[in-house]
Amino acid sequence: MSLELFIQNLINGTLLGFVYSLVALGLALQFGVMDIINFGHGEFVMVAMYLTFWISLFLAIPGSATVVLTAPIFFVFGIIIYKLVIDKVIEAQPLSQIAVTIGLLILLRNFALAAWHAEPKGLQYQVLVGGFKVGDYVISISRLATAIVSLVVLIVLHLILTKTYFGIAIRATSDDKVAAALLGVNVKKMYTLVFGLGCAIIAIAASFIMTFQQVEPMSGMTWGLLSWVIVAMGGLGGLSGVLAAGLIVGIAQGIEITFWDPRASLAIVYLLFILLLWFKPKGLFGKR
Amino acid sequence: MFLEVSNLNVYYGMVQVLWDVSFKVEEREMVTIIGSNGAGKTTTLLTISGVLKPKSGKIFFKNEEITNLPSHEISKRGISLVPEGRRLFPNLTVTENLLMGAYNQRAREQRFETLKEVFELFPRLEERKKQVARTLSGGEAQMLAIARSLMSKPSLLMLDEPSLGLAPVLVEEVFEAIKNLKERGTTILLVEQNVAKGLEIADRGYILENGKITLEGRGKDLLKSEKVRKAYLAI
Ligand SMILES: Nc1ncnc2c1ncn2[C@@H]1O[C@H](COP(=O)(O)OP(=O)(O)OP(=O)(O)O)[C@@H](O)[C@H]1O
Ligand SMILES: [Mg+2]
Repeated sequence: MSLELFIQNLINGTLLGFVYSLVALGLALQFGVMDIINFGHGEFVMVAMYLTFWISLFLAIPGSATVVLTAPIFFVFGIIIYKLVIDKVIEAQPLSQIAVTIGLLILLRNFALAAWHAEPKGLQYQVLVGGFKVGDYVISISRLATAIVSLVVLIVLHLILTKTYFGIAIRATSDDKVAAALLGVNVKKMYTLVFGLGCAIIAIAASFIMTFQQVEPMSGMTWGLLSWVIVAMGGLGGLSGVLAAGLIVGIAQGIEITFWDPRASLAIVYLLFILLLWFKPKGLFGKR
Repeated sequence: MFLEVSNLNVYYGMVQVLWDVSFKVEEREMVTIIGSNGAGKTTTLLTISGVLKPKSGKIFFKNEEITNLPSHEISKRGISLVPEGRRLFPNLTVTENLLMGAYNQRAREQRFETLKEVFELFPRLEERKKQVARTLSGGEAQMLAIARSLMSKPSLLMLDEPSLGLAPVLVEEVFEAIKNLKERGTTILLVEQNVAKGLEIADRGYILENGKITLEGRGKDLLKSEKVRKAYLAI
């Protein structure tokens, strides 16, 4: 095992960490505002990856360029899912909410299996290819672009949440929805928009993930697990908490791959999570 | 009629807490509702605000029925509540809390002028404007709660025990602020545990006992009434 390999894996893990944060952010936003855990989250990522694949194929455009379509399509998809499903259980007890969103997970996964079969699909049209060398290390263009886009989206969202009326109202609703309603916030409308926004974020992430990964019907599982862990670790710390947790998970996987079997990289994420629960049960940034 | 509440019956689940509650508030008037703990004062205000739905009865505001409208619609029409327990947004700064007060389109356009006025009224809030609300002292938090609802430029301001838990000096300050608002023409519906103070500054008062209105009158008359003195002033 060489030091070079270790550092190379650290670089890859860090780059991956940014997009982990972005995927988890979609979940964190919805959970933070609506207090509902979408167990179908990972499946949303998987469907958005397929959407990227098909749009890229049919329009013969690079996967990364599909984002101008996948993001708005997923925004609308989110709104429809909210109206048809989530809204019906938003005031129900947690058990019904869990049942309903696990239902979404199964529905989407089975649909993907039936419609697209098990073999993985990768992009046919690509512009973000190859890499460049920095000293002894290779930086993959697609991973670097994905990390940069993720960071930019995170920053834009941070600005929206702190500098715009809409963003302040999102945070206010997340703090106290009755108080927000008393001041004139249409809470249901807010939920609808936030769910749509969360889904648009998922789609942006998914379109870029496709530039270095393939998609198959089970892809959602990984993304779901990663996101829940990241939100649990960093969610209460707001945006920077999610970013930090995403990077930690990415780097931990990079280290794991160096020393052990890559297939165990999810297990490592869980180990990390359990350790965190032992020492900081409220998450890395828990203050509530 | 400015605010007219007629024959409200409100339940929590199977338990009825308001029984045929009726009262009125005229424009520019200050009315207080008095009652002991658990009488249903908070319930009354929450029902007017649309947080609770009555089983029967009607609420009119500026001659329009608002009975089953959602809270945000009622807020849009100019009714603002300073809720019991303040309900500030703990993770928002003082300024952000105030801006949320001006969320309605009508108030939003004038938010910077209103912000100035509010800071004049409560200079201490200006000193703390970048502080996160959860770190405010009790008195500061209460001022922020009142200031936040002023930001909505309400035509009817409802206050649920605004002096609760405040030091005497601050109680004076809060009542000064309320009197000030009244002089500027805001209509006020006040629920106060400080009965003497409430009746003293209010034009009229209603006594709520076990969910029923049992007495009404001018503030000064109620202050003199035997019943009020015995039950609420302990004289
Ligand atoms: N969420 C609730 N569920 C069930 N019962 C409730 C609920 N909220 C209030 N009650 C009951 O309704 C009655 C009226 O309560 P309310 O809060 O309106 O009283 P209040 O006059 O505001 O009292 P206080 O002066 O203590 O604030 C009380 O008996 C109370 O126990
Ligand atoms: Mg009360």
